Amino acid sequence: MATSSSGGDKFTRNLVIGMVALVVVVGASFSYFGSKGSTTAAIPSSVSKADGYGIVFNADVPNVPTVDVYEDFQCPVCARFEAINGITLEKAIQEKKAKVVYHVLSFLGTESILAANAAACASDEDKFLAFHKAFYANQPAENAGAINATFLKSIGAAVGIDSAKFAACVDNGGYSEWVRNVAEAGAKANVNSTPTVKVNGKELDRNTEYFNVEAFAKAIAG
Amino acid sequence: MIFKLVEKFALGKYGKWFGLLSRLTLGGVLLAAGWLKIFTPAKSQMAVRAYEVLPISLANFLGIFLPWFEVGLGILLILGIAVRLSAFLGGALMVVFIAAISQAWARGLSIDCGCFGGGGTVAPGETKYLSEILRDAGLALLALYLFRYPLTRFAAEKITKSKEIQ
Repeated sequence: MATSSSGGDKFTRNLVIGMVALVVVVGASFSYFGSKGSTTAAIPSSVSKADGYGIVFNADVPNVPTVDVYEDFQCPVCARFEAINGITLEKAIQEKKAKVVYHVLSFLGTESILAANAAACASDEDKFLAFHKAFYANQPAENAGAINATFLKSIGAAVGIDSAKFAACVDNGGYSEWVRNVAEAGAKANVNSTPTVKVNGKELDRNTEYFNVEAFAKAIAG
Repeated sequence: MIFKLVEKFALGKYGKWFGLLSRLTLGGVLLAAGWLKIFTPAKSQMAVRAYEVLPISLANFLGIFLPWFEVGLGILLILGIAVRLSAFLGGALMVVFIAAISQAWARGLSIDCGCFGGGGTVAPGETKYLSEILRDAGLALLALYLFRYPLTRFAAEKITKSKEIQ
């Protein structure tokens, strides 16, 4: 610094600089540790750590392509993607033509975490796909306060989940640590957009393969 | 000569007022840009990764650190404390951003700069590289001005002597 301050101001100046630096370091540390996953997180059924903590369908079917689907429940383009390709993916799962891994990311904010947690609760009831589909069909506006426990339980009820276990799971957010694990694994896998679809580890072509029913079906056939 | 004209303006009647305006603009933009990102660290990390320049782990670290750093610089500039240093760091940041956006453009990536939140891969045709670069270039010029003429109106720090300003 080529500038200098008069005597009394100097202390205050350095104090302010020090405080700002402290805020930056402490804030960044909080963000860092807040986004770190946990090895002791409760994990929903059909989740595989080896598959980036994703919810896996057809884990044991041999010789089929692996389709990784990265989504955020609040992302409007994901709702469009589901409307176009949801049936194709469900069919591939039912006919055991592909191993499909759903990665429920949460980069759009807290309501994404609530939705991802509820989807995990639905997975425990073997209703992940139905919940997923119904949620996207009724996707509320982003971070508008609409995605809360009441809404998520009504989506569950709409697809026939009426257990007290599900309700408690949604209320308690018991899988929110797992949601962080999914996010951390997605970050390590260099997923930079939602939806992102990888077939056998290779990302589909964003220009041609994402929003065309035939092209998508062909792409996930491996 | 343009530098002579700038010098004349900076040391003239309105120089320190322009300095104040520069401080508030650069500081305000940095503060807003940081603030809009600190609550969604995963998204911010995604935005940095999408430039495809840094190793993933370093990009993930920067995605968390950078928003807080921007907030810090913004506060110092708005208060008018350590103006020269903050302007230097802010200007350097803008140069890095311009380089990062330019390489993304040149390589034909389709990303959002993620400057004010958002970021990541976008549909081809939805990129705004030119306006992003022009905005950052304008901010870099303000930073340069503040670095050269850090004496401004209503700064919390009262500078009494400076090598730069007699």
